[in-house]
Amino acid sequence: MQPIISITNLTKVYKLKRGGRKTAVDSLTFEVRPGEIFGFLGPNGAGKTTTIKMLLGFIQPTAGSAEISGISVENPQARINVGYLPEQPYFYKFMTPREIVAMHSSLAGVPRQDRRTQIEQVIELVGLGELASTPISKLSKGQVQRVGLAQSLVGNPQVLILDEPASGLDPLGRRQIRDLLISQRETGKTIFLSSHLLSEIETVCDRVAVLAKGKLMAIGTPEEIKQGGTRTTVTTTELTPEIMSEIKAAGGTTHRIEGETVITINTDEVFTVIDSLRKAGLPLLAVTPEQESLEEAFLRLAA
Amino acid sequence: MSSVLIIAKTTMLENARKQVFHVVTLLTLTVVCASVLLSVFTLGVQVKILKDLCMTSILFCGGILAVALASTALPSEIETRTCYPVLARPITRTQHILGKYLGTISTVYLGLAVIGIAFAVLLAARGALDGLLILALVYALLEVALVAAVAFCLSVFSTPAVAVMISLLVFIAGSVKIGYFSHLVNGISNPVIKGAGLFIYHLIPNLESFNFKDALVHQLPVPEAYLAQVAIYGVCYTAFMLTVATAAFAKKEL
Repeated sequence: MQPIISITNLTKVYKLKRGGRKTAVDSLTFEVRPGEIFGFLGPNGAGKTTTIKMLLGFIQPTAGSAEISGISVENPQARINVGYLPEQPYFYKFMTPREIVAMHSSLAGVPRQDRRTQIEQVIELVGLGELASTPISKLSKGQVQRVGLAQSLVGNPQVLILDEPASGLDPLGRRQIRDLLISQRETGKTIFLSSHLLSEIETVCDRVAVLAKGKLMAIGTPEEIKQGGTRTTVTTTELTPEIMSEIKAAGGTTHRIEGETVITINTDEVFTVIDSLRKAGLPLLAVTPEQESLEEAFLRLAA
Repeated sequence: MSSVLIIAKTTMLENARKQVFHVVTLLTLTVVCASVLLSVFTLGVQVKILKDLCMTSILFCGGILAVALASTALPSEIETRTCYPVLARPITRTQHILGKYLGTISTVYLGLAVIGIAFAVLLAARGALDGLLILALVYALLEVALVAAVAFCLSVFSTPAVAVMISLLVFIAGSVKIGYFSHLVNGISNPVIKGAGLFIYHLIPNLESFNFKDALVHQLPVPEAYLAQVAIYGVCYTAFMLTVATAAFAKKEL
């Protein structure tokens, strides 16, 4: 299947004052498949927004290339089928949501006869019906975020690049956005979703890429990302110093809870630990497989 | 082309809400209307004084508005990030810069149109309305377009404050170029400094050539060849400035 977004060895190095250099994105390579919601994760300064800016032609890559729908991002035509929601979108304060969406429908090349219908559709879709004629200056942050989402949806683009779409929204708003993203995927759209909300990513994304210090740390389904770090806890009583050192050498950790010792170790090492406990004559109180959450996986990969 | 016009329309609507536009336009309008009172005290040359004052005000207002609006149009959009959703559309940076430029000069022209109409009404009331007024106004608009292009170009390379300052200097120097600047340069004895002075002299746009105030006041004939030459000069200088601005903006990291 032809990828809808293809990034190959994408690199961005910023020249700093006094001759310094900072690599914001380092040889990034991955693909986004048609019809999927692709989560783009990373801590602040990981290079997520820089990557999005290169995808949209706002900044030039130092090396590497990127394509959208098979067209190089250097060509504005690559953006013909793209809707973009920037992080904390800003619009002309004197305009109303309807005017902004109308402007973007014209820029997106929506035929004149379809504009009115499409504008009203996306305004209703993001729940701005009653505020469609209110100037932006009078809207809350969350409402402006919805305007941003509406302008990204107008023109029915097949690729949506959304940078923190749930930013500034209350829990109900987040839920609505999540449902909206799922409904957009059902219409065949591809969604490139950059977010800090790991629960959001875990719920809606088909695949996830984790970025740290400009490098791709992991890519796969949320389950695959989490499986990579599956751990198991082994509960026993007091540990001997010899067993403690064996556990540490195997990359495990220990902590005491109400007179018991809980050992957390990679699943591969569980039998080694159990053998050690048996040899030392220590009781085996519990063995519990520990499923890593996406947040834990994120923290592990981003560290 | 439609993308350019959409950006131009939005820019114009945005600029027309700016305080500087209202203040400068209203001040100039006040000066134009007040010039009727001043001309009362100049027996025999009322119309000449009226024309002189009004044309000077129009040229000054146009220059100030062009500098103030064009120097800030692009940087403020980058600073407030309003350009991101627009540039994420399938439009080129050239289309964007042309749209911003057209929107900016349209706003200045809107202000000048209001003042120009008031001026024409005052002249018509004295039976002094003639074709030279239209000529003088058209060339004032051409001058405004050139000044705006210079300010636009400078704003791509520098901060808005620096762009405003340099553009104002260019506007003032360009308006007195032949009258004062040429004498100043010719008076320099050091060949190196004189060479640098001549270089700046030729680099600065000759805005005086767009000023047909004297022809309007004294009813002097203007040769058609000269008019064509000035028009071509204005268009070429403006196009050059916009080309430089576009080339620089195309590489600018947002």
